[in-house]
Amino acid sequence: MNASDTSHHRWLWTGIILTGLFVLVPLLLSLAGRSYFYQIANTIMIFALLAASMHLVTGVAGLLQLGHAAFYGIGGYCAALLATHFKLSFVVTIPLAGMMAGLIAFLVAVPTMRLVSIYFAVATLGIGQMLHVITLNWVPVTKGPNGILLFGGMKVFDIDFSKPVPAYYLVAVIVAACIYVIHCLSHSYYGNALRALREDDQCADAMGINTPRLKLESFTVSGFFAGVAGALWAHTAGYISPADFNFNVSILILSMVVLGGLGSLPGSILGAIILIGLPEVLREFKAGDFRNIIIGIVLFGVILFQPRGLIGEVSALDFIRNQFGLGRKAKNDANKTDGKQMRVGWL
Amino acid sequence: MKNRRNILALGSALALATLPLPVYAQQPTYKIGYQLPLTGNTAQYGIDFKNAAEIALDQFAKAGKPFKVEIVFEDSRSDTKEGVAIARKFVDDKSIVGVLGDFTSGVSIASAQIYKEAGMPQLSQTASHPDYTKVSEWQFRNITTQAQEGPLNAEWLYASGYRKVAVIAEQTDWGQTVVSNFVDKFKALGGQVVFSEFFNRGLADFRPIITKIARDNPDAIYTGYFYEDGAQFLKQMKQLSVTIPVHSTSASYNQQLITLAGADAEGMKLTATFLPNNPAKNVQDFVAAWKAKTGQAEPGQFPAQAYDAVNIMLAALERAHPNVTRKSLRDQLAATKNFPGVTGDTTFDADREPAKKLVRAQVKNGTFVAVDQ
Repeated sequence: MNASDTSHHRWLWTGIILTGLFVLVPLLLSLAGRSYFYQIANTIMIFALLAASMHLVTGVAGLLQLGHAAFYGIGGYCAALLATHFKLSFVVTIPLAGMMAGLIAFLVAVPTMRLVSIYFAVATLGIGQMLHVITLNWVPVTKGPNGILLFGGMKVFDIDFSKPVPAYYLVAVIVAACIYVIHCLSHSYYGNALRALREDDQCADAMGINTPRLKLESFTVSGFFAGVAGALWAHTAGYISPADFNFNVSILILSMVVLGGLGSLPGSILGAIILIGLPEVLREFKAGDFRNIIIGIVLFGVILFQPRGLIGEVSALDFIRNQFGLGRKAKNDANKTDGKQMRVGWL
Repeated sequence: MKNRRNILALGSALALATLPLPVYAQQPTYKIGYQLPLTGNTAQYGIDFKNAAEIALDQFAKAGKPFKVEIVFEDSRSDTKEGVAIARKFVDDKSIVGVLGDFTSGVSIASAQIYKEAGMPQLSQTASHPDYTKVSEWQFRNITTQAQEGPLNAEWLYASGYRKVAVIAEQTDWGQTVVSNFVDKFKALGGQVVFSEFFNRGLADFRPIITKIARDNPDAIYTGYFYEDGAQFLKQMKQLSVTIPVHSTSASYNQQLITLAGADAEGMKLTATFLPNNPAKNVQDFVAAWKAKTGQAEPGQFPAQAYDAVNIMLAALERAHPNVTRKSLRDQLAATKNFPGVTGDTTFDADREPAKKLVRAQVKNGTFVAVDQ
């Protein structure tokens, strides 16, 4: 396949995805005339962003992260507090919430970045629980279990973003932009360095990749995007409490990443669609108490018969390299260095 | 990839949405939505609510009214994500004129934001968060808040001659209000709070807390817990031979407390709005129907609140009939006055808060009995 072919495919696929997200899905949802579908679409998009952000750390860099909900929660609380105490517009609070979550992710990554495998997982589990207990018990600031009610609504230029359709577009634009950035990061020379780290961190180290720094960076970036997702949830739900960000949520996000396929970005997104969408579809079918059992069976079946996930990493990478040409470009870049060591990371 | 899957999932959901509508009988049928946890950690409460609602609905259908009522139950798992999706679903269904639920304050408030925007009356049987009814004029609750119960208990303890009190409560929005409302009043009366601590729901070991309480030697302990934690606490008090009198709130009122704690529950005092041994006819009818339907012992306070909430909603529907809209139902709910329920007479004040009469009760010989002091 030559270069022009790849670039042709690239624009075609980008066009298809964007048309689907911004035209077809809203059109279908509007035809159905039910705000219920918009609500589910919003929740799916927010969790797709969460799964995509965890994909960077757990799927690509191979670090089992068990406290992701904590950064989601920091983003949510940061946005809610800035909006209620300082009356900041949601437009400002969303990036600020991301930065705060990224900053805290950076701070907790500093002492944990030299840990590997299960030790890293237990450290993130501890951090996740700690941050959850802080939101629960730091009553003067977080209002503890009372949670925070956002009364302000989301109005900019007379558009009320708390209505279902504008809210959908707001969430879709932000999530699409964030996932594009994650896509660029994970399908590049940088992403390949993270994969090398996952496969064998000592070998990667020996080849001149600064592994602690890579871990630090991917963890921080992942925290940033989880924070953005938290801010989106806080603003679209209008009320948050520590129960929205507990350990179960971390496990839910991890399940999405594993179900879709570790290391596969489309897989993470598909995982979010299934694990948020399926319970609601089953609700429509009046599955009642069997809903949870069916979801359990789906998870179990996937792990049993498709242990690499629904869209495995290899097929996902092949698809992205062939259609978007990102990996290929990185490979060419690598060839241009003529054997000189290439610096990885941007710190 | 994402949108292809999205469309697929939505397509199947769409196909369902266009299924034929139910055939209307000659009598008009009004639909009420009920969001409640039927699975998950709090399912035991949601299942009780569903049973209570079905009893109320059954009695209503047998009473020969000029219209029929159907309740649509949806399982929220006490999860905000699911709660808001259900709220959207109820709002979309134009035949649903009012909503009951949810169980926890958090899910109730998040759903309330949607009901506020859409203009849907919402009546929760248990949401006690102070901000819940402040969301909008569409929110009602059928639970006495701690703003009423706390000061009443403070007066009771003070009148009993207690001056030094220890306070413990679960670390939830409700637990916070248990402590603040009681402590403010008790201090105002001139009492002293010597110990105050929150614990996480489902705590297995209360002994460190009990030891600390015993060290401060209070005259009494005021507790904010539900029956599961309460039973654990009372049993471990006995194990440590701590004999300080224990007072609690209506939330711990449940026959299960006595079943779980056995003789260790003896002597605990609490305030309640519902006592199953109240000889009033409506209470005895409900208790009999409950025993017949569930095969369980007597109903606790929460199912009784749910039973009353459903009946308050049905009574409002009857007053609004034949011009039933979400707006007219809301107005009729707001006009609820002296509704004779099993949890006492209910009147909604201007802030849509119920004023109820609380009775003092104590565990004696394995049952809750009304006491004067």
